[in-house]
Amino acid sequence: MMIDVKNLTITFQTKAGPVNAVKNIDFSVKDGECYGLVGESGSGKSTVLRALSGLNPDWTGDVHIAGEKQGRNRPKSFHKFVQMVFQDPYGSLHPRMTIDSALDEALAIHGLDNRSQRVERALYDVGLPVAFRFRYPHQLSGGQRQRVAIARALILEPKVLLLDEPTSALDVSVQAEILNLLRRLKTERGLTYVLVTHNLAVVGNMCDRVAVMRHGEIVEEATVDALRAGTPSEAYTRQLLLASQGYDRQAAREMIEL
Amino acid sequence: MTDKPLLEVEDLRVSFNTADGVFEAVRGVSFSMGREKLGIVGESGSGKSLTGRSILKLIPAAREVKAKRLNFDGIDLMNASTKQMRAIRGQRISLVMQDPKYSLNPVMTVGAQIEEALLTHTKVKRSEAKKRAIAMLEAVKIRDPERVYKAYPHEVSGGMGQRIMIAMMLIPDPDLMIADEPTSALDVTVQMQVLAILDDLVSERGMGLIFISHDLNLVASFCDRVIVMYGGRIVETLKASELHQARHPYTQGLLKALPQLEKPAGDLPVLTRDPAWMTETFS
Repeated sequence: MMIDVKNLTITFQTKAGPVNAVKNIDFSVKDGECYGLVGESGSGKSTVLRALSGLNPDWTGDVHIAGEKQGRNRPKSFHKFVQMVFQDPYGSLHPRMTIDSALDEALAIHGLDNRSQRVERALYDVGLPVAFRFRYPHQLSGGQRQRVAIARALILEPKVLLLDEPTSALDVSVQAEILNLLRRLKTERGLTYVLVTHNLAVVGNMCDRVAVMRHGEIVEEATVDALRAGTPSEAYTRQLLLASQGYDRQAAREMIEL
Repeated sequence: MTDKPLLEVEDLRVSFNTADGVFEAVRGVSFSMGREKLGIVGESGSGKSLTGRSILKLIPAAREVKAKRLNFDGIDLMNASTKQMRAIRGQRISLVMQDPKYSLNPVMTVGAQIEEALLTHTKVKRSEAKKRAIAMLEAVKIRDPERVYKAYPHEVSGGMGQRIMIAMMLIPDPDLMIADEPTSALDVTVQMQVLAILDDLVSERGMGLIFISHDLNLVASFCDRVIVMYGGRIVETLKASELHQARHPYTQGLLKALPQLEKPAGDLPVLTRDPAWMTETFS
């Protein structure tokens, strides 16, 4: 198992008292697998991802990544092994840093050699012309920025990539390009993905297995083949499936507030 | 659909001044519609939102908004005065925007905002206005209208915020509603419920609806007719039920690029843009 999560609970302290964002969930992801986490807003899917990446230290439970037990604070070597790509390519790149310095910074932190070549190589790998190296994020389109964000994550040659809604801010035609890129990189480098999304069609295109989350719990774990066959066992999953297929007056009437 | 169109747009053009000279964002859009659900789809930058807003002449930063004809129910909007436009906006044509978080006034209660929409255009007593505001909240399927009436926008969920905005836009009983990505910020199940409300209201009130969206499948399943925009122009107009028989390579390319759950995982066909799409003429 590449990722093994047991009894993961994440609680936030708010003025109104503690909020259980994630309640005692278990899941595991095999080496080389793409595991989807779907759910509606507030279901806790992104919170799980942030806990896995070490961005959110307020969790309890057992998290093993590549067999190693993870604590609250992660060593530098962890971040070389696990990287994350965020939803909004406009917000996740520093506006005053060129693409070159954004990519180079990760290399400097981890003390890697041949930095210049690595930057060029990373741009090439995500299908960006080398001429983009000294541009600023605002000179790039949304899809190009998301490619930079992927290059920035991959430049450290991680084995696990955590993807938080990587295409939901993009147009359909650009989304297709980014999904194709992610699929190619996964095969070429034997990466393991955890993909958070609200879009079941993206899951169908990318993932092997999927966990459906609701109110901080995993209500169902299914293979994508089962989803495709339309045989999920939970009513909530069926409702999500139905709603993702477009508007249907009859279905909307029967929609239940679960 | 009645014989006389509700809205006629002919050769609509919107341009902006930029550092590199004049940029034409909408380049000769023509369509007419009755009391139906008309979808406008396109990717970002296609000019779909600008087309919707120019009907209300709500593009202050534009260098020029011009059209050979912009007729709404016998009124020439192109030559309407600011005063006439103010009477039309909200009252006869209303606009629902994408994100309730930014489009509702955070320091006014929900009830006061809905009443304001009514009181701006009609003379009614306050008590009557309150009654109608609560009835409207019920019409958009808000379960506890009395409570929501007194609530502030930050106290309600996104889906509820969007329904409140729809209530606000419906209370003056408009003839045409322009909805610009009204459900894009919502979860799929909430989206379905909001669409069902819009659907019922359109058929009950005989209202026209312009539904602007980037989501092809959603538009095809919800609207009667679909206009596909690319680079500020209409590349294709289709019956919604016939979207999947689209003829223009851009529409076809968009449809193919959509991931589908039913299809096996694998590379998605990527849209290749033909520069000719920007200049070709359409019959």
